[in-house]
Amino acid sequence: MAVEALPATAVSTTPDHEPQGRFKKFLPQYVAISPFFVLFAIFGAFPVLFSIYISFHSWNGIGEMKWVGLEQYTYLFTDPQFWAAIGNTLIIWVLSTVPMLFLALVIANALHNTVRFRGFYRVAYFIPNITSVVAVTMVFGSIFSNNFGLLNAFLQSVGLNKIEWLSQPWGIQVAIASIVTWRWVGYNAIIFLAGLQAISADVYEAAKVDGASSVQTFFRITVPMLRPVILFTAITSTIGGLQIFTESQVLLGDTGGPGGAGTTIVTYLYKSAFVDNQFGYGAAVGWALFVLIALFSIINWRLVGGREKS
Amino acid sequence: MTLSRRGFLGLSAAAAAAGLTGCGSRSSLGATDELTMWTWTGSVNDGLIEQASKAIQGSDKRLLMTRIGSDYKTKVLTSLAGKSLVPDIVAMNDDVATYFPNADQFIDLHTLGADDLKSQYLEWKWKLGITPENRMMAFPMDTGPTALFYRRDKFEKANLPTEPLDVAEAASDWDSYIELGKKLKKAVPGSVLTDNIASAYRYGLSQQRQRYMTPDGQYIGNGDHIRQVWDTSCRVIKEGLSANAQEDTTDVDAVVNNGRLAAFIGAVWWAQLGPKNAAPETKGNWRVCATPGGAGNRGGSFLAITKYCKDPEAAFAFISWLESAKNQAQAFLDPSLFPSTPATYEDPLLNEPDPFFGGQRIVDVFGESAKAYPGTYFSPYDSIIGTPLVAELVNVEVGSKTPDQAWRDGQARVERELTRVGAI
Repeated sequence: MAVEALPATAVSTTPDHEPQGRFKKFLPQYVAISPFFVLFAIFGAFPVLFSIYISFHSWNGIGEMKWVGLEQYTYLFTDPQFWAAIGNTLIIWVLSTVPMLFLALVIANALHNTVRFRGFYRVAYFIPNITSVVAVTMVFGSIFSNNFGLLNAFLQSVGLNKIEWLSQPWGIQVAIASIVTWRWVGYNAIIFLAGLQAISADVYEAAKVDGASSVQTFFRITVPMLRPVILFTAITSTIGGLQIFTESQVLLGDTGGPGGAGTTIVTYLYKSAFVDNQFGYGAAVGWALFVLIALFSIINWRLVGGREKS
Repeated sequence: MTLSRRGFLGLSAAAAAAGLTGCGSRSSLGATDELTMWTWTGSVNDGLIEQASKAIQGSDKRLLMTRIGSDYKTKVLTSLAGKSLVPDIVAMNDDVATYFPNADQFIDLHTLGADDLKSQYLEWKWKLGITPENRMMAFPMDTGPTALFYRRDKFEKANLPTEPLDVAEAASDWDSYIELGKKLKKAVPGSVLTDNIASAYRYGLSQQRQRYMTPDGQYIGNGDHIRQVWDTSCRVIKEGLSANAQEDTTDVDAVVNNGRLAAFIGAVWWAQLGPKNAAPETKGNWRVCATPGGAGNRGGSFLAITKYCKDPEAAFAFISWLESAKNQAQAFLDPSLFPSTPATYEDPLLNEPDPFFGGQRIVDVFGESAKAYPGTYFSPYDSIIGTPLVAELVNVEVGSKTPDQAWRDGQARVERELTRVGAI
């Protein structure tokens, strides 16, 4: 803070200072903060702007870029595969996010009340999140496999018929959603836990004195007090959920498996740009995804955070 | 050494400056006395590369090869698009035709005297690297002739012919092959002829003289020759002779390992990827014979010299040395690449009995297949066309569409895609 205050006074005492001189004066500060901005400009801003540019072109990666105006976008809106990809993504997102956040809240609550081995449980729940997605997906591939899967072995051992999980749309989507859930439950639980620990014990004590049951306490105190944390996890899960890629790609390859049921928006983007070499179209899909994520974040915000105003 | 913050910043600044000035001015990758080459894992013989990395015969250059782990093509396209630090030599897979629209990025090998070597190579393989405008963009590496792989033990159990020549006679076309599969399935329940419908279709297509487009750019993927392959693969499904183990899943290995896949039409490289890797304990039980319905080819790669190359003559000297009949025998031993030079089929190295195939000399079968294969034309759009068609076939296998419905939907998707890229 002290550093900021100093230039401020300097400016106010010489109001007619020339901008160029001012730049020179603060040069060391500008240089000091420049690495971030330089790197961001090269690796963040430029690719983002360039992807807008190529989305108005037809480009195979090597040859000439051909200006096609809005053609990529008009094709996008009439592309049944794109809409199917959005549908798949949303189904997988709901199938994964709802149980994930619910489980995370339950686990966080349990962790909050645990007395022994706290550290151990926290680490144990967080480990899936730092495990390689590819490795996890391959293990899940063996669990859901049609021919030698653990799940089918289990079903058959209890006398049920085996299910060809990876040959039908819902089976594929359940498999992908379960990978996402397994991976992110612990992460969200730790975030909820941090939120829980920030709630003052006084509130709980007051509830106890008023004779609230533990269920009442949970729904009337814990959940409302956690609302900002829930909003955060809901938005990050939405952003993550709409960008599912690795799970589908490793489990099913570029085409999303039978019926394309595992094709998410990002796998479709990847396939368009890097398998079919239609970079303009891939960029257009990317921007459609951006709009979709923004839209869902706003909806989340309204749903979870909105009530606070009233 | 402890790294101070100042030291760290200084180092990063220096590294960034070096990185920025390092590129930009030069368009070809590597030092001036080096020829750089990109390929993927398992596409060349390491011993030969080792030799060339000391010195390339007949030049003052030496080779620096990089194995690109994954997303090979994306990386090649990126370096070509960047027009800077482009490798001198790049390998291409059997999607070589997708580079045809940008053939000007590569040196026309006709100008380097490639024609003198033409007679040593399989004619159809040689043609695959030449664009319809007669520009020789890519030089032959290996090929992927097909054969019928079968489990002798299972055939014996089912009272079917067991010796390669007899099996080939009993399954001379797809009809008799399917009949044989039905008998096999009856005697050894669970037996199948293919892991999935896509394999049946792709191998059926690999026997065709024509594929999806003509060299002058006409779409023929809705023609009878494709429909026939389509119907045959659907029949394999209908008879219950597919394991429904979809491509790109671990199930594909499982059906080799658990013995359900008792026979399979596959390319030569499948020996390694399939039974040798996934079911080593089946050693000695496998045999190969001529492909039902005629010789086919699936896979096989190429080498091309980019227009940024520092020394095209040296690069060509290297390529023609690496792919000479003698050296392709080395590549057959490791990493199991099947030669594109017929003279190599007589090489003693290839004529060793293979214990995995019960001592059979498999080169006899694959060499015949490679020589008998009629050749075909791959268009730059073959993958754009093939992907939706195969995806629709999978719908037939998992039971969500009838063959007719899938055919109509597939053709509609192809038409849409081709219109978009301006191919029709």
